[in-house]
Amino acid sequence: MSTTWTQKHRPQTLNEIVGNTEAKQQFLNWLKSWNKGIPKKRAALLHGPPGIGKTVTVEASAKELSIELVEKNASDYRTADAIKRFAGLASQYGTLFGGNRLILLDEMDGVSGKDDRGGVRELTNVLKTARSPVVLTANDAYDPRFRTIRNYCLVIAFKNPTVRETVSHLKRICAKEGIDADEEALKLIAERAERDVRSAVNDLQALAQGKNRLVIEDVKWLAGRDRKEVIFDVMRTILYSGDSWEAKKAVSSADVDPDMLFNWIYENTPYHLTDPHDLVKAMDYLALADIYRKRIMDTQYWTLLRYVIDFMSSGVAVSRQRSKASGWIPFRFPEKIRMLSRTKGERALQKALGMKIWKRCHISARRSTKEVIPYLKIIFENNPEMATGLSDWLDLDEEMIEYLAGNKKQTKAILAKLE
Amino acid sequence: MSYEMWAEKYRPKSLKDIINQKEIVDRLQSFVKAKNVPHCIFAGPPGTGKTTAALCLARDLYGKGYREHLMELNASDERGIKMVRETVKTFARTRSIGEIPFKILILDEADNMTSDAQQALRRTMERFTETCRFIMIANYSGKIIEPLQSRCAPFRFSYMSKEDQDRYLKHIIEEENIKILDEGYDAIFEVSEGDLRKATNTLQAAASMGKEIDTETVYSVIGRANPEDINKMIKTAMKGDFLEARKQLREMILKYGVAGSDIIKQIHTEIFRSMLPDSWKVTLSEAIGEIDFRLIQGADVEVQLSALLARLTEAGQELSRGG
Repeated sequence: MSTTWTQKHRPQTLNEIVGNTEAKQQFLNWLKSWNKGIPKKRAALLHGPPGIGKTVTVEASAKELSIELVEKNASDYRTADAIKRFAGLASQYGTLFGGNRLILLDEMDGVSGKDDRGGVRELTNVLKTARSPVVLTANDAYDPRFRTIRNYCLVIAFKNPTVRETVSHLKRICAKEGIDADEEALKLIAERAERDVRSAVNDLQALAQGKNRLVIEDVKWLAGRDRKEVIFDVMRTILYSGDSWEAKKAVSSADVDPDMLFNWIYENTPYHLTDPHDLVKAMDYLALADIYRKRIMDTQYWTLLRYVIDFMSSGVAVSRQRSKASGWIPFRFPEKIRMLSRTKGERALQKALGMKIWKRCHISARRSTKEVIPYLKIIFENNPEMATGLSDWLDLDEEMIEYLAGNKKQTKAILAKLE
Repeated sequence: MSYEMWAEKYRPKSLKDIINQKEIVDRLQSFVKAKNVPHCIFAGPPGTGKTTAALCLARDLYGKGYREHLMELNASDERGIKMVRETVKTFARTRSIGEIPFKILILDEADNMTSDAQQALRRTMERFTETCRFIMIANYSGKIIEPLQSRCAPFRFSYMSKEDQDRYLKHIIEEENIKILDEGYDAIFEVSEGDLRKATNTLQAAASMGKEIDTETVYSVIGRANPEDINKMIKTAMKGDFLEARKQLREMILKYGVAGSDIIKQIHTEIFRSMLPDSWKVTLSEAIGEIDFRLIQGADVEVQLSALLARLTEAGQELSRGG
């Protein structure tokens, strides 16, 4: 449960990486060319926006060509000294048994030009003399810091995959996770992530984990700009800082609708405060916050909002006393909102049906949802003839009949008899 | 078989057809005879004939055109002061044409009205007594404010006996030509607990399956008509699975439309039946009472009841430690 989907569903082959077909091919060709001797450019610089597959392209290519991959991250090549330490690697020919070795210097943007001037120079030397392929990734290849480096690299630009390509990646994940997702929901996720595939996958996980269905309503809240990160930050502070002041500050300074935030906290708190004693305290504070929400609604006295915020932030924060933090637990989209929007149509239909029943059966629409509709459902599923008579008697429309009958076939049978 | 809801088709049309509630029927018949009806409160559990008695009274009183002299409102669909101010006043103030100078207004689920709405009703009732008589229907007369109660003649409806229910069902069964085993009657009585609407609906749904009705048929109807299970949720919480209990709570509220008050009532009953130490029972009762009150004030049902579920989770842990 506590693995991120970006890891769990990381592409294993070049084919699984969406978009950038030409860039992938260009990189693969360059890598293959090492078999025929050292090429003109001993290094490749893959550049482009974050989260679109630069690193996985390197990983998958290495795998496909059975090349050993040596990965270095930013801290390893920040300084001239650090670079000297691994320069030896690059100066050697392949591995002992003839296989090649690929050296990946990821996230070059992490190298600070000012502090690491020596580093960049040292790196340039490595690139000039490397006897194994070296790959660099960066977001902005045209940063002046990289000017010299660039000269020694085959520069390959990665572009954002299209929304359609991103969607196809999300679809692959949904299929593996057993989620039946609507196309438009995935499309909205992809659009909102501004075609950053990794970020789209993270969003998908937050929205769909543990579900078997994902519809557009589940995703709509994403529409607000950057709200997700803000909400997640606030929640981390509330659930883990244990500091009432920090928690309160996090809520007040975040420009998020308090109602939305309340629902996020209410949804996620039980996953993080696992000790029942802590949970009782936190849920009590949330219930208290809810009371004040109601008071605001009744009186329109909005200054009371400060108490709502106190209880849902500080109240929950100080409730953590015995619960132990246990690994990474993803934040979940508020199920309440999801269910409300999903059952909205059903509830409206129930009400309309209830009004029909009220006209005939002297029972309120509210009570009929419990005391009449369930029996009608059984009748409509079992007995088209009786159902036809009742539809006529209650003056039901097609939608209501379908709701009661539960499937299209039975609905058709009933409608046919009605005519 | 005919195709109405049998609960309507076989609803008694006249007071003399009502087979139980003998004392109540006698008094109502005396009103008809005197052609005068006081304001009334019909209180009692669901399916015991309150609405039927009110409708029969009106029919016996006015005869065929009784619909013109009668208005039915229910407080849960048309709640609040506005409803009383507008609908009730418009209906109540105009004089009825005919032998009987007043109309009858049936106010169903009167115990669901806010106390403000009830206060407003108090004046309306007094002002228009000449032209309109109120029959307020409620499960609990205690939820009707004192000033209203004192203006009304109280009637307490009680559950139907098994003999009476069987007699009523038998009539339907003969008319509709249904096959049923004796055990079918027993099962229906057991699941409906004297609620005649529930009994009749269960019978009709069971009959729709087209087989001879036995215990199994009845239970399958009830199982499908009541998929929500408050006890199961309580057990889940006490076992320590708060997340699953909250999920069940959500489904109950949003999917099946179970009222918060029903859930809280059940939790309250279960706590006192449980093996918890007495001191815990009282502590929990205090929490339940507070949340019950909050729900009446209109707080969010799920959020409030979740807080209660957390308490149950904690109590369950305590119980497993002690035992």
